[in-house]
Amino acid sequence: MPDTTTGVVVIGGGSTGAGVLRDLSMRGIDAVLVEKGDLASGTTGRSHGLLHSGGRYCVNDLAAAIECVEEGRILRRIAKTTVEDTGGYFVSVSEEDLAWEPRFVEGCAKAGITCERIPVEEARRREPALSRHVRTVFWIPEDGHLDPFYLVVGNVESARRRGAQVRTYTEVTGFLKNDNRVSGVVTRDIFTGEETTIGCQAVINATGAWAGFVARLLDVEVKVVPVKGVMVVLSHRVAHATINRCHKPGDGDIIVPALSVAILGTTSAKVPHPEVLPIEWDEVHHMIEEGALMADGVSTARAMRAYAGVRPLYDLGAEAEGREMSRNFAVIDHEARDGIAGFASIVGGKVTTYRLMAERVTDLVARRLGVRTPCTTAEVALNDREDEMDQLRHRPAQLGVPKPHGDELGLQALICECELVRPQDVAPWFKDPAVRTLEDIRRRTRSGMGPCQSAICSYRLAGRLVTERGLDGPTATRAMADFLETRWRGVRHVFWGSQLRQAQVTTGVHLELFNLDRQLMHDLPPSLAGEGRGGGFETAEVASQR
Amino acid sequence: MITEETETFSDTVEEEAPVEACTKCTACNTVCPVARSTDIFRGPKFLGPESERYRSHQETAVTAGLDLCSGCKLCEVTCPSQVTIQEYIRRAQNKGAEEGGRTLREWVLGHTRLLSTFGSMTAPLANFGNRNPLVRMLMEKVVGIHRKRPLPRYQWLTFERWMKRHPRPRQTRRTVAYFYGCWVNYNERRLGEQVVAILERNGIDVIVPKQKCCGIPAVVNSNMDLARKYGSENVRRLSELPADMDIIASSTSCGLMLKHDYAHLLEINGAEKVGARVYDICEYLWMLHEAGELDVDFQPVPMRLLYHAPCHLKSHGIGYPATRLLRLIPGVHLEEVDEGCCGISGTFGMKVEKYDLSMKIGSRLFEAVKAAGSDSVLADCETCRMQVEHGAGSRSAHPIDIVARAYGHG
Amino acid sequence: MKADIAVVGSGLAALVATRTLHQAGRNAVLIWPGLSSLYFTYATIDVLGYSDLTTTRPVEQPEAGVAQLIADHPDHPYALAGLEGLRSGTTLLIEWLRAAGFAWQGDLGRNLLLPTAIGTPKPSCLVPDSMAAGDLRRDDPIVFCGFHGYEDFVPELAASNLSRSWGRGEHSVRAVRITLPSFEPGNLFTSIDLARSFEDTTFRREVASRIRREIGVDGVRVGIPAVLGLTHDTDVYSSFAAEVGHPVFEIPTLPPSVLGLRLFDRLRKHIQESGVEMIWAAPAHEAEVSDGQCRRIFLKSAGREQPIEARAYVLALEDTVDGALRAGVHSMVDPFFHEALAHHEMPTERTDESLFKPQPYASIGYRVTRRLQPSDDAGRPLAGNVFVAGGAIAGYDPVGTKSRGGLAIATGYRAAQEAMAA
Repeated sequence: MPDTTTGVVVIGGGSTGAGVLRDLSMRGIDAVLVEKGDLASGTTGRSHGLLHSGGRYCVNDLAAAIECVEEGRILRRIAKTTVEDTGGYFVSVSEEDLAWEPRFVEGCAKAGITCERIPVEEARRREPALSRHVRTVFWIPEDGHLDPFYLVVGNVESARRRGAQVRTYTEVTGFLKNDNRVSGVVTRDIFTGEETTIGCQAVINATGAWAGFVARLLDVEVKVVPVKGVMVVLSHRVAHATINRCHKPGDGDIIVPALSVAILGTTSAKVPHPEVLPIEWDEVHHMIEEGALMADGVSTARAMRAYAGVRPLYDLGAEAEGREMSRNFAVIDHEARDGIAGFASIVGGKVTTYRLMAERVTDLVARRLGVRTPCTTAEVALNDREDEMDQLRHRPAQLGVPKPHGDELGLQALICECELVRPQDVAPWFKDPAVRTLEDIRRRTRSGMGPCQSAICSYRLAGRLVTERGLDGPTATRAMADFLETRWRGVRHVFWGSQLRQAQVTTGVHLELFNLDRQLMHDLPPSLAGEGRGGGFETAEVASQR
Repeated sequence: MITEETETFSDTVEEEAPVEACTKCTACNTVCPVARSTDIFRGPKFLGPESERYRSHQETAVTAGLDLCSGCKLCEVTCPSQVTIQEYIRRAQNKGAEEGGRTLREWVLGHTRLLSTFGSMTAPLANFGNRNPLVRMLMEKVVGIHRKRPLPRYQWLTFERWMKRHPRPRQTRRTVAYFYGCWVNYNERRLGEQVVAILERNGIDVIVPKQKCCGIPAVVNSNMDLARKYGSENVRRLSELPADMDIIASSTSCGLMLKHDYAHLLEINGAEKVGARVYDICEYLWMLHEAGELDVDFQPVPMRLLYHAPCHLKSHGIGYPATRLLRLIPGVHLEEVDEGCCGISGTFGMKVEKYDLSMKIGSRLFEAVKAAGSDSVLADCETCRMQVEHGAGSRSAHPIDIVARAYGHG
Repeated sequence: MKADIAVVGSGLAALVATRTLHQAGRNAVLIWPGLSSLYFTYATIDVLGYSDLTTTRPVEQPEAGVAQLIADHPDHPYALAGLEGLRSGTTLLIEWLRAAGFAWQGDLGRNLLLPTAIGTPKPSCLVPDSMAAGDLRRDDPIVFCGFHGYEDFVPELAASNLSRSWGRGEHSVRAVRITLPSFEPGNLFTSIDLARSFEDTTFRREVASRIRREIGVDGVRVGIPAVLGLTHDTDVYSSFAAEVGHPVFEIPTLPPSVLGLRLFDRLRKHIQESGVEMIWAAPAHEAEVSDGQCRRIFLKSAGREQPIEARAYVLALEDTVDGALRAGVHSMVDPFFHEALAHHEMPTERTDESLFKPQPYASIGYRVTRRLQPSDDAGRPLAGNVFVAGGAIAGYDPVGTKSRGGLAIATGYRAAQEAMAA
């Protein structure tokens, strides 16, 4: 007998898994999501957050582009508060770019992407950041920024309101089977090592780049090619709208203004394992150089950190490599393909089309379960209450307004001053059992994502681990150190100028003033984040590949 | 393709510290006189570099509490990363006013020159009005200027007109241009006369180019366009002077506008060249001294003096030349008081809702002044002198006044 | 502008050097490029907390520890400054603190062991009186007291950690919180706001009585966040402690640091009122060298570069954080002589993989002669009349050994002596 039972187990807490969980719950199917790290800690949370209009794919990958067009429009309706409707520019800076333009225009027309050529002077008036190298400009109103963390959290919370469950830091180590039918999963808690079984009628493998590892537990093959992409975060938006190079998609050709920062993306390199994502200096350097070609202020902005994500490209058997592989997705019915009932995988795709991917795989599984309720995820807004979703969107102007005479106090306290995170924004998450490291708080609130990279808020959050989560001092201190350490891994790659000077303030506070280095030498509990486990997904397998 | 930017990037050594340089050390908040005096101010770190990350030409610039920044610039002076904190606050304030409209008071206080012209033309009447409780009550209600704040006295004979009658000396070594500013012109002609007398005593001919208000009242009252208009006019006129002619200012705030803010805050073309030729009067006299050109045949001035360094003088980055100069004068017993900002910050302390805050900020200075019991408090800035007189009930003077006495022009 | 000796810097090294020169009757000008970014680390002045980077055993006797360090590492900046530099500098500083109206205690013969805001014992040598009662070499029970809504000191965290590490958990440590009059939890209030409020007698009395009530028992000492007065700390502390009725000690908080502010504000004010001229807001750079001597340095004053012509110069800036070094993408350069002090192909080379290990970048700085003159690769002085003090000296990292303050004092003192002799 399994420890618990449910209708469907969803493996993977990225945008696809979260989307599937919501879809299932909206069709009235009981579901549990298990994720071996935190929500949005894999591919989704490490994307550049570009809400694709489809412009980027319209020449080489028309089918993917068309999906982006449709899904982008749906997301603007259902996930308003996770989308920043910035619009985007496609700019040409070289002869090759100019040669690409006719194909781009044609592709946009075919995919149904609104695309308007505007004079460079006019574009500069609207977007002063466009560099002097820019020769021609297209305005693509449907490009935007999609907040990946909030998208996932929004989907999961929506599903939770409908009774679905979430277990983070819970790894699937095996399957329960009845003959050739999957009847449940065996899971292990990453931190405690505790094993649990969950019985179910079907399992959906939504683990993206990890899909092959999960499938292998059932001795079936799913070929996913992990392709690394490196991104650099700048300390402010640089531009108001997204900027793409108008050329065949290549390295370092996107600038995404994302809430308070700008993200430069990205590179493309096959990696042996989705968790082996070394950040090379050449990549970081190249990204800034290429970004500077498109927008002024990139080379003089403060680079705050670099990070790497992994694309889960599904190998359709073509000869294509990396970027030339389709960004399209596939639903794998393992019953039909491999004779294993109650198991389906959803692979490929991208964050922008997560909902459609979820819909397709849920259609399949629902059909098999005999549930006829149609998918409504394209119609029902992600948040049943608009205001609840607003917390990532604070602007300084929205924080307490003191009356000019100062007789009415209203200044709100802030936990993270860089990212304007208030105590009430973090407080609920300390009560959520799915939140198990300070990085998890960060993903849900943006605390620690600003220029100081958690030097200040880490202490305040550690304090709340004691007062609100009831942890003991050593555990909270270890969590604080892990948080700082995870941030440090990103900071190291852009270690010059202001970010180097910033590090001295961080060590000044934590090592000199608090004596944290000595505290860590005493008998603190072992690191929760562990070697490289900022996102919570380090395994022995990775270590062996290093 | 390698571009200039990427070359810069490949080994960036930033010469100018942009907003990016803030390391959140919070030093600015510890010295901010407003943050140290009230709970309702988030402080320069938040309103400057932190909020700046959220501002862009497309996004609203307003942050609650911007108007509480008095503009003393102590945050910039203290910032170890040389972030121009206060300039960001000013720009945001100005943008807020552009979007939300300016108040009558902002208009009035921004146009001090216009006001002063009128005040000086009607000097006896204006001075009477400015001291009449009924008028002041009305002024507080309509314009928002606190009734307790003493307003400067206007003089009928402006410095400009006095200078026209003033005979030029015959034999001089060189000529300097004097940016006398609204204060000397309309309120304290005597200070201007002393500046001229001291320079002439040292063989320097003084000319007064036609000039507008330096623009700082407009800057601090959220009207950078007006300030830029004044500034451009001043830069144009001062640029017409011979290229090697030095320009002297006797007000620290006017001097700072000419030296720095025209070029950096207001981004006026050609301002950098003009700014490089501007000297504070005491700075200039000390330079003469170091070059062996200052007449140091001073008469003793047996006075106990207390020197208060104006905040904007600190921003000049020239130290305290007045104290060096005064120490050359026999009989002068000079003490320094270092109690930070006096609290008035130009027109800040005149506003009805800021008056109490302004007095609270200055309270440490007032106590120190009272305890010192000096004959006079010296400050290079006119509004500091107004505030010290008002808050500590002491006498005050520009350091030049003492130099003039030592030359027998008392 | 001309001066006898120009001191450039904003931290303790610059202040000690300036005071040394002033005491010796020399005409010094202090070029002050802003409060040090690390002002908050000077809540206490740490001479030597740990003898090396890996030990957890605190140094008990800092003077003896430094003597040993000098014997073991003859090129360490402490060795260049000499034990005598540390002794004389410390004596000078302690006298100065007293003259400036500060109540500090200091004795090179012993380290106090004080709890930090995370409850870790930390060895410190010179400390304000208001912190001394926290000394963990004594056994009496500790109550950490925090304030509802104030996030920059968490008593529960400190108590939980300290109760485990202090004397192997044999001592009594607990945490309490009180609500402050007129500060609503959820509203913003900073250490600065609290420190100002504590200067108010009524507020202070009310807080003291709430703490007394909350604690209830006798025979404990009370650790509270360091917010006891912005400027009038001595009076505020002693009257507050009397009102609480228990020994009270302050614990340094996250920045803004009231303790750091008090120290620097007071010393700067004192040195200025004693007649030393300070040049604010004018970062110095560009040394003009001829015939092996620095003739002028330049300040970035409003409107123009301002030359400073002095007989000798003391450069007492802290590392990169206060602009002693500029960290470009590949090279770290000093702003006075434009010496490339380090070159890295990749920025990651400057760091360790862990934040909590010694960082290679932290040791980058001016190579110096035995007289603290900045030198080239071959050890020849770049200018005979320039002397370096404080964090910008190459070859050491004060973070792990908790020695920033002592090094600042010793090198500041020594550099001033050398400048006078130049």
